[in-house]
Amino acid sequence: MVALIAICVVFASQSEFFLTERNLTTVLRNSVDLAVVCAGMTIIIILGGIDVSVGGIVAVSAVFIGRAYQLGMPDWVIVPVGLAVGAMLGAINGYIIAKSRVPPIVATLGTMYIYIAVLFLVIGGVWISGLPGTLSFLVLGEFAGLPAGIWIIGGVYGACYLLLRHMPWGQRVVAVGCDEASARLVGIRVDRTKIQAYALLGLLAGFAAVLYVARLRNVEVNIGTNIALEAIAATILGGANIRGGVGSLIGTLLGVIFIKLTQNGLVLIGVSSLWETVIIGGLLITVLVLDALEGRRTA
Amino acid sequence: MSQDLKLSMRGLVKRFGGVTALDAVDFEVRRGEVMALVGDNGAGKSTLIKTLAGAHQPDGGRIELDGREVHFATPQDAWSRGVATIFQELALAGKMTVADNIFLGREIIRPVAGVPFLDRRAMQRRSRELLDELDVEIPDIQIWVEYLSGGQRQGVAIARALNIDADLIVMDEPTAALAVAEVRKVLGFIKTLRAQGKSVILISHNIQDVFEVADRITVLRRGRNAGLVDTAAATPEDVVGLITGASVARRTADATP
Repeated sequence: MVALIAICVVFASQSEFFLTERNLTTVLRNSVDLAVVCAGMTIIIILGGIDVSVGGIVAVSAVFIGRAYQLGMPDWVIVPVGLAVGAMLGAINGYIIAKSRVPPIVATLGTMYIYIAVLFLVIGGVWISGLPGTLSFLVLGEFAGLPAGIWIIGGVYGACYLLLRHMPWGQRVVAVGCDEASARLVGIRVDRTKIQAYALLGLLAGFAAVLYVARLRNVEVNIGTNIALEAIAATILGGANIRGGVGSLIGTLLGVIFIKLTQNGLVLIGVSSLWETVIIGGLLITVLVLDALEGRRTA
Repeated sequence: MSQDLKLSMRGLVKRFGGVTALDAVDFEVRRGEVMALVGDNGAGKSTLIKTLAGAHQPDGGRIELDGREVHFATPQDAWSRGVATIFQELALAGKMTVADNIFLGREIIRPVAGVPFLDRRAMQRRSRELLDELDVEIPDIQIWVEYLSGGQRQGVAIARALNIDADLIVMDEPTAALAVAEVRKVLGFIKTLRAQGKSVILISHNIQDVFEVADRITVLRRGRNAGLVDTAAATPEDVVGLITGASVARRTADATP
């Protein structure tokens, strides 16, 4: 939070354009897909898991959406297709992790390569472009005077918050993240909870793909490349504990805004975007070191 | 007499490969009784309670609960039959509140338009009742369990067992690694449970604690029954003798003229 205000002050002092409504709206539009993925990533990290394959899920979902458009399908078919593909790929991750007991980072690294391969097999190295903009209102539109992105982020985060903090399912997620063996002992079906959580992240990644296609109206070969790392970074910066049990949706959202504002601000003040990754990486390490020090003190 | 028995285990056998961990062991607990289970390391205490908790399957013998034979395939089976085993690790989620832990896996729900929302107020009220009945002092039940003392955590684990209406509560070394004042508290919880008519199995290395709360003591030695004594009719030295095998040796010596 402090860091967020700090960068706003720095960028605002360096570029008059930074704090304009137009610029901030642009940042928001560019943040919506990442923010949506991050809500799911927060739940997965609270569960004690991690998913580095979300970029692949976004990519495969986007390819299915693009192809569906090319086949002339209507929006009311295309959106569910995108969501279903995402949820299915997420459920595959969850199934592998729950049943094989392979560490999630390794399992999803494996599926990431497979999902990327699917992307290339379908797309064949060529962009799918010139898609219709019938869904663009989801990102570019306005409802009741507020940009559509705010409504989407609000809706997704609101729903995830209720699910995580005010329903039994969220209790199960936190319990599994604290201690799997204990969760099992009180009768929680750990495997099922994991599969559901990864499927939820997949569903949100599918939704992010819908938003991505709606915004850019094409499917690039390198779609989703950075999204997994950005999502994990935003979640950790937002206060989630990589060892599970702890995380905050609001914190994650601040993490997303921080990352996107940093990217935007650095471009505006004319600094190479390489520095963006240095800043985010440096902060990530700072957060993790502080966390580890605190862990050592309480242990 | 057998109607009084809450739990009866007869001729229990458990082998691990070539090792016989339990060799025809008998064990019983009456209703409203605190039964201590003592023995040296490797005597078979853990194997016995893990069998009772559904974590191990016996290779032979019979387990009866309230006079009816039972088979526990999983720990959840045992929990659902009212046998709550509180292992040393306690099975609490450190980063959840006291009330959320007590209701973990069996939350109180208040549906709003068919969506199952947690009824936190009801869960907190009931948690407070359970903790008060046990005389567990936790000023704020909204804090994470990992901020509680060892004795308070024991209290939370017992409250959870009571919340599932467990009437046989198995406690594995509950006083190990606790400060003296905390030990008093936990022994107090056990007495409260007995006063409520619950049966308690107490596994402990501390003979002093055992003599303070247990009605009877079962001694295991090298996977076999080494003695069953009434606490009132025995001295700690007798029990230590049974644990180490010293009194068995003496008795055999007496028997040979």
